[in-house]
Amino acid sequence: MPVKQILQAMRWVPHVFAILSALAFAVVVWPPKTEMQEWKPSIRIQTGFVEKHPGIVAWKQSILPAQYAQASCGACHHDDLPETPRLNHGRQLLARLNCIGCHQLQNVDRPAMLGPDLTNVGSKVSREWIYKWLKEPRTITDADGGVIVDGVATNPRMPHFQLSDLELRALSSYLSVQGAKFIGAHNTVRASATAPAGGGDAADRGQTRFNQMFCVTCHSLAVDRGGETTLIGGDIGPELTKVGSKVKPEWLVAWLRDPQRYLQHTRMPQYEWSDRDLHEVTQFILTRLTDPDLLKDVPPLGPPKPEEVELGRRLFVEKGCSECHVIEGVVPRSDFGPDLSALGMAAGPFLVEVKSARKLPTNLHFVKSDERRLEIGISRIPRSMIAYLQAKITDPASVTPETHMPQYHLSQDDLDDLTAALLSMIGTPISGEDRTRMIVERPHAEFHPDGEMRRLYERYKCYQCHSFKGYGGTLAPDLSYEGSRSQHQWLVEFLKDPQTLRPTLTVRMPHFNMSDKDATSIADYISSTLQNPNIPSAAAVDKGFTEQMAEHGKQLFEEKYKCQSCHTIGSSGGYVGPSLNNAGNWLTAAWIEAWLENPQALVPGTIEPRQSIPADQRRDLAAYLMTLKQAAVDQSSSIGTAAGGAQ
Amino acid sequence: MKLISIFASVLIVCLGLIAFADKRLPYTFCWCWRSDLHFFARQAPHKESNEYVSYGSYASETDWNNPQHLIPLDYEQAQGKRIFYEQCVWCHADSTPAGPSNRSNVSPDPPLMNDGTILNGESDASLHRIIAYGGPAGGKSAMMPPYGLTLRDEEIDDLIAYTRIIAAPDYHKPVSKPNWIWRSKQ
Repeated sequence: MPVKQILQAMRWVPHVFAILSALAFAVVVWPPKTEMQEWKPSIRIQTGFVEKHPGIVAWKQSILPAQYAQASCGACHHDDLPETPRLNHGRQLLARLNCIGCHQLQNVDRPAMLGPDLTNVGSKVSREWIYKWLKEPRTITDADGGVIVDGVATNPRMPHFQLSDLELRALSSYLSVQGAKFIGAHNTVRASATAPAGGGDAADRGQTRFNQMFCVTCHSLAVDRGGETTLIGGDIGPELTKVGSKVKPEWLVAWLRDPQRYLQHTRMPQYEWSDRDLHEVTQFILTRLTDPDLLKDVPPLGPPKPEEVELGRRLFVEKGCSECHVIEGVVPRSDFGPDLSALGMAAGPFLVEVKSARKLPTNLHFVKSDERRLEIGISRIPRSMIAYLQAKITDPASVTPETHMPQYHLSQDDLDDLTAALLSMIGTPISGEDRTRMIVERPHAEFHPDGEMRRLYERYKCYQCHSFKGYGGTLAPDLSYEGSRSQHQWLVEFLKDPQTLRPTLTVRMPHFNMSDKDATSIADYISSTLQNPNIPSAAAVDKGFTEQMAEHGKQLFEEKYKCQSCHTIGSSGGYVGPSLNNAGNWLTAAWIEAWLENPQALVPGTIEPRQSIPADQRRDLAAYLMTLKQAAVDQSSSIGTAAGGAQ
Repeated sequence: MKLISIFASVLIVCLGLIAFADKRLPYTFCWCWRSDLHFFARQAPHKESNEYVSYGSYASETDWNNPQHLIPLDYEQAQGKRIFYEQCVWCHADSTPAGPSNRSNVSPDPPLMNDGTILNGESDASLHRIIAYGGPAGGKSAMMPPYGLTLRDEEIDDLIAYTRIIAAPDYHKPVSKPNWIWRSKQ
């Protein structure tokens, strides 16, 4: 019967249907294990990423763990983004730790000087000290031998190399014969360093002078505060707690007189010294900043032997010392460490620019073999790029026993930031315009003052702390428009005797003992050149402020805008902004008005909030501030308070 | 019955294969962090420790009242933290990165940024208004300047998100009515 036959034939249909539907359910209905989704405008994205990057499809969850997620931003953004503080910090660490010495990196340029030039190091330190330094470059540790003292890492920039005793002996003897005669010819300075005038009193006066000159703005000192060691001071220059046991006296005097003669690219400015000051400060450094136990672990080394020197000469290149340190006549190897400029590719593409999510296979983010991928060989570190990187940085020998790489002691946060910066390098070439905005130690060379100022700018190293038109340091105020802000006479006096405008700051401008001539030259340059084109120059303005205006301005200052919450006038007010006690002698009226209109336009990133103050009120506030004048302060008393602040 | 059992067994085999492939593939091809997370991709480890807190969050902030406790921050809160330490820390904390706080110089005393007893009473909108237009906009002192021209709207929202997460006592978002059934998709 046909019906029966048909039914007979269809006996397997339900089974086939069941199998097919199960397959269909498993493959189609069961969601693919991908997190790729096309963002819908209605979804509120936490990062604001989609609004700024239209047309880009992103993973809903970052593929990198969140603390490294900023690496993805760095793949395209080679300049500082305010939203990526961890990445920016990581890139600064890359520069600070001299990674560029041995590796090629994508966002970091090679600075003029990575480590000190060692051509004449034999005239500076003894062989014993070199041995100690190469063995353990940390001079300050807490009771457990840790490097974090009071939350501040006391690591020097020199990393920890694992060297054998033989290598230490060879390198120390090789270095100790470098240029040992360099300072010896200057018998005059030697005499002034060792002249026994005043003895212990000289050291005391030297300490006062040391504080008055604000050496601690750049150099740090470890001090004992209630049984705890704390580190005070800046990190532009080396930490100085035990420097008296390190350097030779005649070298110290020659260095303080003219640092750039010993190290061409040093950051240290050249101070103007009187013989007496120089003697006292030298005495202070050599007698107080010492540690008799510093070299006690060093075995007796004796004078350098020729075979040791020869071995040291070879090791200096083989161990990679010559990648960061220059010795005249020594040629470093090229490409000493692996090229890391495409490291981020090895961790997988973490930002995929596609229009449609549908065509993507579920395992899109799995790394396909790529010739730029790094070969890491066999190791016991978990097979994750991040674990590998972090193990390599903190203990290189655990990854490859025969490595030349030194060991770095970093806090976990620093390590994470550094990892994010490394992962951000995906090896694409950076075009010319972007290069100038890369995160490097900011090149001062881009700002060239003319004439006399060129010499003074290099001599006093203004750019180490101040920034000029986008170049320079970030420690001190931006001086790009200083000529519009400050009055000429005030500049001269400030340069000769810098007094801080912010009473709570511990970091202050050093006291250069600048001569009248130098101070006037710098002030002339600032007043004539560092001008904001939108602010009329001080000479061209005759505001005709009246007393009523000043009266009204005072009222606005105190009642309406409550400026005293941040600025000090008289003895009351806040510490956040500069003290305005001497505003009438310091600021120009045109600057005050422009500043009140839009502070961020004059100094980007300043924290004074922009307010909508009408023009007549700005004029009245300026009129009030211009009435605030202070008589010149007696120089000796000001130095006394400054020194007190440093204690 | 037979059909159902065939359906079920094939389904189980297929799902098993897919799961197996999904679990195996990452080990073979992927260098992602924590490949075991791939299977239940959004499942986070259950342990609650500082290690985990600092792992896998954009940033963390130490609880102001308890240095042992780390608070994980999401992206917005992390941006809020950054802005707080640039702009607000001078008056709304007892110590600042640059030294002593300005808080004692301002009267009336500005509330600490984590002071839940004061700030939890203000709604997000009211806090936003005070930050953008200054103290007088919320009936507070003019000592609080307006930041509406300095910070963008979303930056102010980030700041509020940061305040909420560090608040002590904890901040709980007010629930107006149980409308979760009808809540439109976000």
